[in-house]
Amino acid sequence: MNSRSPLVTGVAVLAGVVLIVLAVVYWAEPAHSLPSFIPGHEAGSNHHHVKHGIASFFVGLALLVFAWFQTGKKQPA
Amino acid sequence: MIVASLISYGQAVVLGLLQGFSELFPISSLGHSVILPKLLGWNIHQNDPYFLSFLVATHLATAIVLLAFFWRDWVRILRGLGRSLRDRGIGADDYDAKLGWLLVVGTIPAGILGLLLEHQLRKIFASPESAAIFLMLNGALLYGAELVRRRAPQTDTDDDVRIAKQVGFPQAFGVGAAQALALIPGFSRSGATMGGGLLVGLSNKDAARFAFLLATPIIGAAAVLKLPELFGHQGDGVRGQALVGSLCSAVTAYLAVRFLLRFFETNRLTPFALYCAAAGAVCAIVIPFI
Repeated sequence: MNSRSPLVTGVAVLAGVVLIVLAVVYWAEPAHSLPSFIPGHEAGSNHHHVKHGIASFFVGLALLVFAWFQTGKKQPA
Repeated sequence: MIVASLISYGQAVVLGLLQGFSELFPISSLGHSVILPKLLGWNIHQNDPYFLSFLVATHLATAIVLLAFFWRDWVRILRGLGRSLRDRGIGADDYDAKLGWLLVVGTIPAGILGLLLEHQLRKIFASPESAAIFLMLNGALLYGAELVRRRAPQTDTDDDVRIAKQVGFPQAFGVGAAQALALIPGFSRSGATMGGGLLVGLSNKDAARFAFLLATPIIGAAAVLKLPELFGHQGDGVRGQALVGSLCSAVTAYLAVRFLLRFFETNRLTPFALYCAAAGAVCAIVIPFI
């Protein structure tokens, strides 16, 4: 975790936020209401993809933590 | 209507005792819980909703025992994680923080693969026959890990410092992902992580310790996630048995973790590899005739 790049940090924050929003969408919307480009979309299904939401949330959180570390001082090797 | 005789209290005791030690021994608890009912002629099947509810309770008991056993270590690790978040980096000699992040990095792939694949794999590989074959393969995996293990010099006296120094983040990710093998009945979660630990240069003792620490959040989270099923209609008729099974599971899990940490101070995975290969082979031959 010693390489620091504003671009990497920015991408990690953006992807993290997107994944957490996606998690909320998975929890809130039934499968038939999900946009067709999102994995788990099923026409006519009222199933909520809770597990997809949990996975998406934790990956998003991990990316935000990664970005947080990227903004810290460089640790001595 | 679900009746109380889905799992008898006697069966709950046997399955609970089995779950507690086989979850931590590298011999596949899921494989054994699929094979044993078949061998004993019990009308219990891995995909029955009430049996899954029962297993949730025994898994939760195992996770609680692991958490209690390593409580002081977890407190140190969580403090380390907190320090590293505050400082936005892992201090060069902050081995608690390093170990904490290794556990996080190892848990993420296992958790995601488990969430996404568990249902499908459980449906595909639910039969005792396939569990017996995978148990044999688990034996081969354990034996292979002992054969090709890396031997790194052991310089530190503290277990967690050795683990934190020896294991890197990509390796923790790989070891964590290997846990997903355990979604297939017959493959062992602790076997995969112990084997992975050996491959990255840990001693048997340190690999076992890392495996138990890595197992705690994933077993606990999987059980908590499915707890509503135990308290919902799927748990009707098995809650009492689940409580009895959990208590039995807690006792054997405690004994197992104590035994294994001592066992691996001087021993290897080889006896478990031989057991899995032999038991798997015998079951693969016998089960078709039952």
